[in-house]
Amino acid sequence: MSGSLLLQSVILGVLLGGLYALLAAGLTLYFGIMRVVMIAHSAFLILAAYLAWWFNRETGLDPMLSLVVTVPVFFLAGFLMQRLLVSRLKPLTLTMMSVLLTFAIALIIEGALGFIFTGTQRRIQLPYAGDSLNVFGAQVPVVKLVAFVLAAFALLSLYLLLKYTRFGRALRATIQHPEAARLVGIDTDRTAGYGFGLGLATAAIGGTALSLDATIYPSLHWHWIGPLMAIIVVGGLGSIPGAAIAAMLLGISQSLLQLPLGATWAQTVFYVALFATLMFRPQGFFGGRLAQRF
Amino acid sequence: MRNVSERTASAALGPAVTETVVVVPDTPRRSRWPRLVSLALVVIGAALVLSFPFVAPNPYILSAGVVILNYAVLSTGWNFMGGFTGYISLGHAAYFGLGAYGTGLIVKYLQLPGFVAWVLAALLVVAVSIPVGIAALRVRGASFVIVSIAFVLILLLVFQSWREFTGGSEGLIVPRPFPDLMRPEHHRVFFYLFAALLAAALVAWWIIDRSKFGTALKSIREDEDKARSLGVPTTRFKLIAYVLSALVTALGGGLYALWFGDLDPIFQFSILVGSYMVLMALLGGVRHLFGPLLGALVVGIALEYFKLEFGDTQFHLVAAGLLLGVVVLFMPDGVIPAVRALIDRFRPQQTSIRDVTAAELLEQNRAAATSEPRAGASSDHRAGAAPDPHADADNREVVR
Amino acid sequence: MDALHSTRRRVTAAFALAASAGLVLSACSGGPGDGASADDDPIVIGVSLPLTGDFSEPGKGVERGYEAWAQIVNEQGGLLGRQVELKILDDQSNADRVVSDYESLIAQDGVDLVFGPFSTRLVVPSARVAQEYGMLFVEPAGAAAEVFEQGFENLFYAAPAVANDHYNYLADYLLSLPEGERPKTAAVASMDDPFAQGTAYGLRDKLEEGGVEILVDEVYPPNTTDFSVIAAKIAESKADVVIGGSQYQDGVNLIIALQQLDYQPKVAAFSTAPTNPEFASAIGNQTEGILSPTGWSETASYPSNVEFVEQYTEIFGNPPAEDEANAYTTGQVVAAAVEAVGCAEQGECQQQLIDWLHENTVETVVGPLSWDEAGRPSGAHLIQQWVDGEIKIVLPDDAKEADFLIPKPAW
Repeated sequence: MSGSLLLQSVILGVLLGGLYALLAAGLTLYFGIMRVVMIAHSAFLILAAYLAWWFNRETGLDPMLSLVVTVPVFFLAGFLMQRLLVSRLKPLTLTMMSVLLTFAIALIIEGALGFIFTGTQRRIQLPYAGDSLNVFGAQVPVVKLVAFVLAAFALLSLYLLLKYTRFGRALRATIQHPEAARLVGIDTDRTAGYGFGLGLATAAIGGTALSLDATIYPSLHWHWIGPLMAIIVVGGLGSIPGAAIAAMLLGISQSLLQLPLGATWAQTVFYVALFATLMFRPQGFFGGRLAQRF
Repeated sequence: MRNVSERTASAALGPAVTETVVVVPDTPRRSRWPRLVSLALVVIGAALVLSFPFVAPNPYILSAGVVILNYAVLSTGWNFMGGFTGYISLGHAAYFGLGAYGTGLIVKYLQLPGFVAWVLAALLVVAVSIPVGIAALRVRGASFVIVSIAFVLILLLVFQSWREFTGGSEGLIVPRPFPDLMRPEHHRVFFYLFAALLAAALVAWWIIDRSKFGTALKSIREDEDKARSLGVPTTRFKLIAYVLSALVTALGGGLYALWFGDLDPIFQFSILVGSYMVLMALLGGVRHLFGPLLGALVVGIALEYFKLEFGDTQFHLVAAGLLLGVVVLFMPDGVIPAVRALIDRFRPQQTSIRDVTAAELLEQNRAAATSEPRAGASSDHRAGAAPDPHADADNREVVR
Repeated sequence: MDALHSTRRRVTAAFALAASAGLVLSACSGGPGDGASADDDPIVIGVSLPLTGDFSEPGKGVERGYEAWAQIVNEQGGLLGRQVELKILDDQSNADRVVSDYESLIAQDGVDLVFGPFSTRLVVPSARVAQEYGMLFVEPAGAAAEVFEQGFENLFYAAPAVANDHYNYLADYLLSLPEGERPKTAAVASMDDPFAQGTAYGLRDKLEEGGVEILVDEVYPPNTTDFSVIAAKIAESKADVVIGGSQYQDGVNLIIALQQLDYQPKVAAFSTAPTNPEFASAIGNQTEGILSPTGWSETASYPSNVEFVEQYTEIFGNPPAEDEANAYTTGQVVAAAVEAVGCAEQGECQQQLIDWLHENTVETVVGPLSWDEAGRPSGAHLIQQWVDGEIKIVLPDDAKEADFLIPKPAW
């Protein structure tokens, strides 16, 4: 195995890890806010990818332009989902029942996509699909780079939003201590709704990024939810930086392990990491004080 | 009656006393479901099941009956964990698949007779489920669900990739245990085998439900921290329930392999199958012996119907999703309690509740506190605080 | 206990009574074999196809082929003077679905004939159902060796050659090249699917025997969408020949990933994908020189083929592809047997149809077909290549429409 192949794999891993990081950030956000394991996250991801594909097919414009519509729509959908559905669940059984509820939503999305667009595999045909840049002897596909930049930009915006805005502080307070947040005058219910909206907005961006260089079909979301859930456990449930770091590490590991093990076995790295985390450090490796209790 | 015996049983336990949620009856107790009626219902139900192969108009309907019985076995198996402890596993398809593939692989490599392989495979699955259970049960709710889903996905990967051993995506062909039977006869034999397995699973569930062990498990479901503080060895009990649940599910899977003959990793390790188990149990009612069976009947028939009517669309997914959403939002305790509540309205005053959820109890307590205080019962009650979305503990009163 | 028993017996009896009433009702509503196959009733043909899931792309092609066949037959007066009617169910590319589909078609709907599904993975379980109900089972897609090793007597593969022989002409040609031009190394990537692997490994093994070194040999599961690392390995090996055991979308994805890494092989052979009408636009029209085996050619001069291409194009607005042709061939084979034997219903008729096909040769759009006792056809596949933006037959020499292009131009 030569150095250039190794470099190639690391680059592919980083490009993949960026997308994982964005999506896992959304997933861990819901958990932080509401202790909700949002199974439908990746279904919304695929939905966004389909919308980007459909947009591109109908208009012939660049699929990334569809973000102008999908991001606000997904944000609203997330807000409504939290306020109208998740908040109806009884608090005592919230974690378990929210899993089932979001699972049901995932099934509905998958079924509806299959119903409308059929189960045929789809792929956006971009003029620059086969182009690549040569970086130190490694070929970096342009579409993957675009997807990565999109994801990284979204993740950075999310970070800045949470860190430096009034809303971000309210949201973090809600995550850290909801009772105290209420005492200082934060409308935690509304904030939680906005948090859900943010989570789904990341799915919209992630899905569009995904659609640039991947084949999509309705049941694809099952192949995403497993790795994403493993990432948020390894990173520590509820911790966004933890999720981002774990996503990057696992993305690179997956890419590197594909060389000796092949595509399928390499995917098991997520699950091995998941089981190892639960066995040895259930609170996660990068922060996340929530895991043990929930 | 049950009430009293349960309490004496737990009193006799000594230090490891388990706590059950019991409301002291404030009027003399009367059985809500007369024994005779229950028995008659069970007998009629059994007779319906046993006579089905003779009245099924064609082998396809019979095979659909086998599928539904299989679902009932799986869902009842799931309910050993989900119903007793309240831990919802979305990944029980893993044990279905392991049972099926285990049986098939043992027949293939060890040349053992099908039913011997079936039992061996189930024992192997028990061995597998112990470490998985330990890992999954180290953490509460959310992580448990994540592990359960991850376990199915990892097995799907392994069974797809390990071609030399499992046959990979091409699947595995399990030889028929009765090669001489014509297809309709084959369906009929397996219909009775599945019925027997279901009966065994139901009896086991019923015994646990009435045992002190079952009471302890239910205390975990209602309040794990409190159960632990009262001396219930929660981790060990949860693990036992998990392993039992895996065992029943694996037996269902193994029997399926012998019946169906063609195993495909995508179907054997499908999250969808696991979610059907949950949907069936939840729809029927996880606290009830026949809940999963009822759910399997409804969901199983609905699935066949959707397949026949909307064969070439994905509509069945939407329907399943909507049904699951409705159940979760509007009747998380299932159909049986809903129906019972309806019947009870037309019955003389209800007297005792053997099994109530913490949430229900909270509401009753609140109602009792606000309405006129009745002697005895409500003196211990306190008006519950408004539920806190993040509290996992103290919304509940245990009244003795 | 006694009381319980007698109760049960009484209940059973009562229930059986009620149930047999239901039985009469359901029989009226049309179970199988209710003997009402009057001469003017349509012949109902049951099919289960993967219209969703992993194989939906080729599955839909097969569906179009069957529909075209039914329409063309009906326009010409039907079979035995009866119209034909297709009943198509979706098996979602699932083996458990395909079995219950055929079970419901045969036992519940009482179809008169069945056609096979798509993909080897689904052919084996469904052929067993058909076998156990004694039905003739002609199928358009189960070409892998193991299909014919299950001891089916009712199965016939309606195409010229089994999967492992698809590339025979190409292997012979490459190995016959002079020393300097002969490829020395090859890289293989195949879907984990018996058909795709059968085709790719047929070529791989023949090349290896001929002294070509196999540098990369990868297998990916049917649901793979990210081919970047497989492509990286192939590109790294700089193999002269790349062999893709592909269905459709996986082939497209692999080629794009290879293009992204700027890998330029001398020979690129992919199963099935390049014959798909959308293939060229899907890979950005960089098709020049890509090879594919085909059992069928649009331009072949068999009389029924000319008619098929013409009428299909009229119905669907574009010419058929190989999946459509294979499905159409299936229809032709069954139709030939039905017309010869003079019956089309469940029961003894099916065995007569099976026996007739074992003994006779059928003229089809892919030429004359005959089968051995296991249902293997005894022909060979043509090799096609994209030349000047069109896919043309280049091998064997006596059928060629263009000259073989080697080395392949850059993509």
